Amino acid sequence: MIAKTRFLLAETGQNIWRNIALTIASIIVVAASLSLFGTSQLVADGVGNATQRWEGGIEFVVFMKADAEPSQLAAIEAILEESRGQEVDEWSFVSKQETFTEFTEFFAGDEELLGTISIDTMPPSYRIRPTDTNAGAVEALGTTFETKPGVRTVVFATEVIREIQQNASKISRAALWAGVALVLAAAIMILTTISIAISSRRNEIEIMKLVGASNWFIRIPFMIEGMVQGVVGALLAVPLLGLAREYLIEDFSESDNLRLLEGFRVTDAEFLATSLIVIALGTGVATIGSIIAVSRYLDV
Amino acid sequence: MIRLENVTKEYSADSPALIDASAEIDKGEFVFLVGASGSGKSTFIRLLNREEKPTTGKVYVAGKDIVGLSSWKVPFLRRNIGCIFQDYRLLPKRTVAENVAFALEVIGRPKHVIDQQVPAILDLVGLSEKSHRMPDELSGGEQQRVSIARAFVNRPLILLADEPTGNLDPDTAVGIMRLLDRINRTGTTVVMATHDRGIVDTMRRRVIELSDGKIVRDQSGGQYR
Repeated sequence: MIAKTRFLLAETGQNIWRNIALTIASIIVVAASLSLFGTSQLVADGVGNATQRWEGGIEFVVFMKADAEPSQLAAIEAILEESRGQEVDEWSFVSKQETFTEFTEFFAGDEELLGTISIDTMPPSYRIRPTDTNAGAVEALGTTFETKPGVRTVVFATEVIREIQQNASKISRAALWAGVALVLAAAIMILTTISIAISSRRNEIEIMKLVGASNWFIRIPFMIEGMVQGVVGALLAVPLLGLAREYLIEDFSESDNLRLLEGFRVTDAEFLATSLIVIALGTGVATIGSIIAVSRYLDV
Repeated sequence: MIRLENVTKEYSADSPALIDASAEIDKGEFVFLVGASGSGKSTFIRLLNREEKPTTGKVYVAGKDIVGLSSWKVPFLRRNIGCIFQDYRLLPKRTVAENVAFALEVIGRPKHVIDQQVPAILDLVGLSEKSHRMPDELSGGEQQRVSIARAFVNRPLILLADEPTGNLDPDTAVGIMRLLDRINRTGTTVVMATHDRGIVDTMRRRVIELSDGKIVRDQSGGQYR
């Protein structure tokens, strides 16, 4: 068993070394395709997070002051109830506690920021879905709340947010297809690399068959070679995803010109999930590519 | 040890390589397969280690029907059959000792067994002194000795030789035949396809002659003719 393992590992090492240029090319293709695939997932997450409060046709949000009196809240609610079925189609209240929970989930990991906030500093808010979604009508309705006592500000879902939201599913679908295409390219690249490795070693393979090496003994070094390419590529894709998260996605949320995209960020949990998907995908694709290569080109 | 029953092998329908061939070879026999190029000698040999399957008929090796053998069992059959060829088929980037050791490594033999068996077999074929040489540093006869060492290191029951002296001068060929004879005396069955009239006539072993895919003569102590 030890002798077999040692021999198989040595064979795999030799395979990789003899085929080093193609192996590196494969790893780069895998890393590039998986990091693009992963980045598109992160962008979709970012869009989702940025537009979360605007889901379900919410056109504007009335933020109350953190210290607004219960009577002031009741006054707003009375107006909203009165207008229900007329200007207001639907409304919902987001309490201090809910806001705090949302905030802490969103900024999980940012201890510095979270240290400065508490439930008391959170503004309660009303999310409003108007009957008439025409921009002028929405603005007219929203501004009537701005002057009410206890109201801090009214934030509108602007054209940009609306557009981002409407396109979010399109973006993530397009990203998914682009990712699938690139990952497929990576699989073909691995398959090709393995088939070249097989053909460059056909003399050895012939001798192995003649002296009675088992089919799996012949196949395994090539399969490991393919999986190494997939796993190494995927592991390289993870730091690339980290860079994408830091420079592409989170820079948006800090850009002064794009205040609208505030909240365009990716949580640690989302990043971890995407990284795991990328690693699993890399390993899976490489395994499938290798299996196809050995069963097609290795006639044992 | 080996039995062919009414074996026909067709690569294409109009020109069969072997037609209704039947033969039985006992353990420890030395058999020459003779006949013109294309008479079916190589097909005969390839059927014995399951490189080919017959179109019809049965092939038994060591009492087992190898035609119906499932593909994962074929390697275990081949561990009992050594093969040598006219073109030696050595691995050019491995030394003499490494070429021989390769045959044991790929069937998972432990290192201490390899370390013991490789020098012993190189001693048997007379290449102890050259164990660290590369194949291209050896003469044709020496390369064929390496290939015999590789085929025999696992002590197979059967040794198949397809024109093993085809590329060698007569003196060197005699040396190779002495070696094969020695291996045969250990009880290993040897089946050798050859064109070499001198060798067949000198050794006087059983001769199976093929012509256009048919066995036309099966004679013990035979000559080439």
